[in-house]
Amino acid sequence: MASRVRELRALETLAAGRTAIHRLHPFAKMLTALVFIVLTASYGRYDFLRLAPYLFYPFVMMAVAELPYKLILTRLAAALPFCLFAGLSNVIFDRGAAFAVGGVTVSLGVLSLATILIKAYLCVMSALLLVATTPFPELMAQLRRLRVPLSIVLVFETAYRYVGVVLEEARSMTTAYKLRGGGKKALLMRHMGAFVGQLLLRGFDRARRVHAAMRCRGYSLHRPPPARHPFAPADALFTAAVCIPAAVLRFVW
Amino acid sequence: MHMADALLSPAVGLGMGAVSAAAVGVTAAMGKRDDFSEGKIPLMGVAGALVFAGQMVNFTIPATGSSGHIVGSVLLSALIGGGPAFLAMTAVLTIQCLFFADGGLLALGCNIFNMGVIPCLVVCPLVFRPLLRGGVSNRRLSAASVVSSVLSLELAALAVTLLTFLSGIAGLPFAAFASLMLPIHLVIGLVEGVVTAAILVFVHRMRPELIDASAPLSGRRREGRSAKKVLISLAVLAIASGCALSLFASTHPDGLEWAVGKTAERAQGQGQADGQGEVQGEADGQAQGEGEGEGTELVAQGNNNSGLHDDAAALRDSTAFLPGYVFAADPENEAGVVVSGLVGTLAVFAASCAVGLVMIPLVKYRKKSVSDAGP
Repeated sequence: MASRVRELRALETLAAGRTAIHRLHPFAKMLTALVFIVLTASYGRYDFLRLAPYLFYPFVMMAVAELPYKLILTRLAAALPFCLFAGLSNVIFDRGAAFAVGGVTVSLGVLSLATILIKAYLCVMSALLLVATTPFPELMAQLRRLRVPLSIVLVFETAYRYVGVVLEEARSMTTAYKLRGGGKKALLMRHMGAFVGQLLLRGFDRARRVHAAMRCRGYSLHRPPPARHPFAPADALFTAAVCIPAAVLRFVW
Repeated sequence: MHMADALLSPAVGLGMGAVSAAAVGVTAAMGKRDDFSEGKIPLMGVAGALVFAGQMVNFTIPATGSSGHIVGSVLLSALIGGGPAFLAMTAVLTIQCLFFADGGLLALGCNIFNMGVIPCLVVCPLVFRPLLRGGVSNRRLSAASVVSSVLSLELAALAVTLLTFLSGIAGLPFAAFASLMLPIHLVIGLVEGVVTAAILVFVHRMRPELIDASAPLSGRRREGRSAKKVLISLAVLAIASGCALSLFASTHPDGLEWAVGKTAERAQGQGQADGQGEVQGEADGQAQGEGEGEGTELVAQGNNNSGLHDDAAALRDSTAFLPGYVFAADPENEAGVVVSGLVGTLAVFAASCAVGLVMIPLVKYRKKSVSDAGP
């Protein structure tokens, strides 16, 4: 729980950076991330080697946006278990020989496992690059400019703002429980009702108070979010510089 | 439960993205009329954050020694209603995907469908609410929670299996994957149901109005439908759409598989231009050899005339789990045909059920919100 709060904070700190990537228009980054992920996912099961050039994108971006490598590894660990499970099952079910390297035959299953892993890496990276270089409110403002209904964007925004608060609350409750619980590692199942129920009730009450306070201070749902700067030629250039080579690699090369 | 980008094909990912986006749009549009007032929107956001925090609370599962956490979508639907809960879950899943790498951007649509649409828009209005129609008591609340949780998780597990299967990235045979996923999620669903019940009973004791207000009572409803009627109409619709879909399926065999094959074909076209042509060429050769050697291979029979189609079919065979509905691992096995057929039928049936399940609650939900707003 504490690690999640730290992770969130780390990402927020990173998103507040001032590199060239950070200054790009949110729409350019969103579009690029989406195109990149779709192109990555569209590769076939055994296209491990053809995907390799795609690795340039995350590495170059990380270097330019000054992102640390450690954070990315921890996030990759979250995405891996399921991919690894499916990939290993491919190794078991897909026994055909793909090619031989110096006398060692590589099976199709191993090739597809490698492909899944590299895909997982690329997809996680491009989503991370998006949130680590764009503050969440800017992403949401962009969604509003894209005519996503106001109520949805607001739910997203409040959920994001409260995640930290509620996590802290849950953490202190867990700590209190553990301190009084005689060295238990996790809650007993029969205590879950009161525990989570209490958390919910507290959270709802708090939301009502905070919302009332926000209204008192003049917060309104219908104020349009200001764009920090218009979509500039540089933004278009960035999008093209990533998407066109990626598409060329995918479809022409 | 979170699906990952790496195991999805773009067709499945984007398709489910469109489905979920439509569900979100419809929910928001319907909510605009009644219960999503300004006061309720922050509540939905907080509810999302609470579910997120609730998922972080680990508890020990008795008699197993392991610990688990709740998913919380049934819980949320019970507390704030299906539509708002759905939007809250959408927010949670998006934040998890963006900030914590649980699932991916391409998989977001699938995840929203599995953990949002199924429990909040399907199970909640069709199962949870009808079960509470006779009034809220601890026993009814518990029964409704357990049944809804088990149903939600089983349906979601089925959806995960189906979507992974349709994507054709992971090589697991559908039946094997399903026989692994469904029992596991039955247990998870039971635990989830018991915990959800405990939480709801607690909340009901502390603040009865939270649950009673969101659960329509029989006396207040003007046009209440019985659970039996709903289930019967659901079954009829599922079967009808199943028939329609299987007709479609027989005239256009495996649209998705075809799309995957098409993509693979193009990939191969370019693949042979560069150094890795051997890899795929060999794969094709093998799959084709298997397909032709096996007399029961249906697709391979008709495509001797067209080289391109031949190529595509062979490639599709090398990319599908059940190439031409014969197990990849053992093409000699006659039983494989039967099992593959069964699995295919089940898959189509499940898909048709899903279509039916999605259609009814949308209609019903609309009626419900209107009748709720009335009194």
